[in-house]
Amino acid sequence: MSEMSAGPAAPHAFVLSPGPHLHVEESTRRIMWWVNGALAPAAIWGVYVFGWNALAGIAASIAGALGAEWLGARMTGRRTTLADGSAFCTGLLLALTLPPRLPAYEAFLGGVFAIALGKMIFGGLGFNLFNPALLGRAFLMASFPLAMTSGWATPRNWFGASLDAVTSATPLAVIKEHGFAAGLAVITSPAGFWNALALGFRPGSIGETSVVLLALGAGALLARRILTLTIPLSVFAGVAIATWHTGVMPIHLMSGGLWLGAFFMATDYVTSPSTVNGQVAFGLLVGLLTGIIRVYGGYPEGICYAILIANAMAPAFDLWFRPRRTAPAGTPS
Amino acid sequence: MPMAHPGGSTHTFGRGGIHPDPHKEATSARGIDDLPAPAEVILPLVQHLGEPSEPCVKKGEVVRRGQKIAEGGATGVPLHATISGRVRPVDKRPHPTQAMAMAFSIAAIPEAEPELEFPEDPTWRARTSDEMLVRIREAGIVGLGGAAFPTWRKLAFAHEAKVDMLVMNGAECEPYLTSDHRLMLADPRAIVEGSLLIARCAGAREVRIGVESDKPDAQAALQKAIAQTPVGDMKVTVVPCLARYPQGAEKQLVAAVTGRNVPARALPTSVGVLVQNVATALAVHDAVRYRRPLLDRVLTVTGPGVREPRNVRAPLGTPLSEIVDFCGGLTADATRMIAGGPMMGRALPRLDVPLIKGMNGLVVLTGKGPLEDGFGPCIRCGRCLDACPLGLEPDQVSVRVEAGRTLDTERYGALDCYECGCCSYVCPSSRPLVQFMQVAKGALRRSADVRAR
Ligand code: SF4
Ligand code: SF4
Repeated sequence: MSEMSAGPAAPHAFVLSPGPHLHVEESTRRIMWWVNGALAPAAIWGVYVFGWNALAGIAASIAGALGAEWLGARMTGRRTTLADGSAFCTGLLLALTLPPRLPAYEAFLGGVFAIALGKMIFGGLGFNLFNPALLGRAFLMASFPLAMTSGWATPRNWFGASLDAVTSATPLAVIKEHGFAAGLAVITSPAGFWNALALGFRPGSIGETSVVLLALGAGALLARRILTLTIPLSVFAGVAIATWHTGVMPIHLMSGGLWLGAFFMATDYVTSPSTVNGQVAFGLLVGLLTGIIRVYGGYPEGICYAILIANAMAPAFDLWFRPRRTAPAGTPS
Repeated sequence: MPMAHPGGSTHTFGRGGIHPDPHKEATSARGIDDLPAPAEVILPLVQHLGEPSEPCVKKGEVVRRGQKIAEGGATGVPLHATISGRVRPVDKRPHPTQAMAMAFSIAAIPEAEPELEFPEDPTWRARTSDEMLVRIREAGIVGLGGAAFPTWRKLAFAHEAKVDMLVMNGAECEPYLTSDHRLMLADPRAIVEGSLLIARCAGAREVRIGVESDKPDAQAALQKAIAQTPVGDMKVTVVPCLARYPQGAEKQLVAAVTGRNVPARALPTSVGVLVQNVATALAVHDAVRYRRPLLDRVLTVTGPGVREPRNVRAPLGTPLSEIVDFCGGLTADATRMIAGGPMMGRALPRLDVPLIKGMNGLVVLTGKGPLEDGFGPCIRCGRCLDACPLGLEPDQVSVRVEAGRTLDTERYGALDCYECGCCSYVCPSSRPLVQFMQVAKGALRRSADVRAR
């Protein structure tokens, strides 16, 4: 700041911006990069326990998403939006739902399709109806069903505990195929409940092995008020209701896939309702559908489809659950 | 029942609102400094809502400070000379809210006489409602909180509407501004007396003074002043309010202080309440007790772009450049001059405009404005819904305006918006939601007019 007088002749060109003249210290870009950061611990852990395959998958998926975003912006003549972090986020989220041994080129295609089909054709950020990452995953399930359901890997050994009892499927898949006892065996023995399920040494997709690290990331977003608990808690409640009668409700609730979906995917601003009541209804729907698909349907990781179905309902929830007016015109008081 | 904030006896409104950084520290502990009389004042004929004042002095005439120089007409207020000097012809001059507007100017001359004398009316407390209205009108008083609506008209309307309560606005919820705070500390007795006069004039039976809890000293000063004032059978209390924007907006203040909800598009009088600003009460006190017109006003000159932030009392019509110089001048990185508070105030293009009656602050900001880097698409985060104190849906209005469906916005509240700015403030995509609401409101009103014809 240099010395300067403010006489009427001072050559100051004042900016005539419209009000309000203050703005909160938060931006879409910052929010997106916070979400990416919050996912980082789970992603890094996934790479650690599953090895280079997982890293290649994550990198390929993100590269596919960024590439498609860049190309889409070029083709439609829009401002490139790579820096806003949302395409990166889509790629990362998609990768975290993939099996660790999925070939990298398939992960790349998943990223491309997530953005192209999930976002671009709807008109870009803010206009998409479905969660792009989950749409990308659904595309991969349809295109590469075998790789998508068998690319599981045994996590790295830790604490000297042997994990050889682990099959090449997730515990939920084991429950589905071999019954509850076998599934329980996968996660309780021999490494122990926390070791296997919470700390993240169990088979599963790249990002769902550690509930603790997912919770850590979610906690950071909660503290920054990027997330609220409304949707995740409603999802958990829905799952609890739908799986109550199975007797293994806690196992369902402790699955990393559910946490990843409930905290990071069902909460996607664009594809979920905006009011608290709408969010409760939406979350319950996601949870109920997840439980039903898991128990009766063919897909153990039912939350992906549950969220996609609920996404389609989000505009309706927004219509049904609108904010309450403080005092509408003409009301007596 | 007033809405009590959980865990304390502070009151506040129901939903929405924001907590911007108050930024009041630069001036909240500074008293009010008097600006030395300027060499020239510019007095626009329009400084209020209503018809322009009509000149009643000739050009070249020498006037004394306090002398009436323009009549108010049927709906406006008169104008007074704020310095002694020679009247220059009425001419087009730069205006803070209109580009150019007709204005008097008065040049100080050495031989001019001092201010007119305004002796106390010994029976000032015994004035009738109508007598008070005449004095308030003759004094040229308008709402000093920023609205600038002629006070006599507002009081007459409140009287007709048979209000039972006067709510005094000492909330000062706009960031940066401290002029009301310092006035409440400087002259709490006159503010309480003025409030009593207003209440009697409007026929109210109770006065509640809402002051935000970041000003405990002002609350205490007013409480002491009430104890020292003969209030008669009027019930007068100070109501502590939670510091929260837009607590000082009429609807939110009424909800906080009385628990009554003013319907959208209606005035507080519809729920029996009259709202007045504390600075206006001070002016009313002077008008009724001394027949003293409104000649000066107190404003906060502050922000990162001002070298020496101050609360300044300056004659109306003083060029803002002179007021800024009195505050040490601008810093080199000053970019935006805001007349009023930073939430609802408007940006000024130039500094050679005069201080007018409704200007309660001059906030000079540095850096880029919220919109200078453009704005992004709505990411449907819902923050604007949570922030709107009225429960409107600025996100829905904005996407419809963008999509060219401007007339499709009435059900989302476009007509009810009073432009507090909370939604724009919180939007992470920096969307100009207030402006989208304005566009929609304007289009809806025009189409309603067309249909009415
Ligand atoms: S400016 Fe209008 S829409 Fe926005 S928060 Fe205020 S009242 Fe609500
Ligand atoms: S705050 Fe902005 S981005 Fe969020 S819902 Fe409102 S308009 Fe959309």
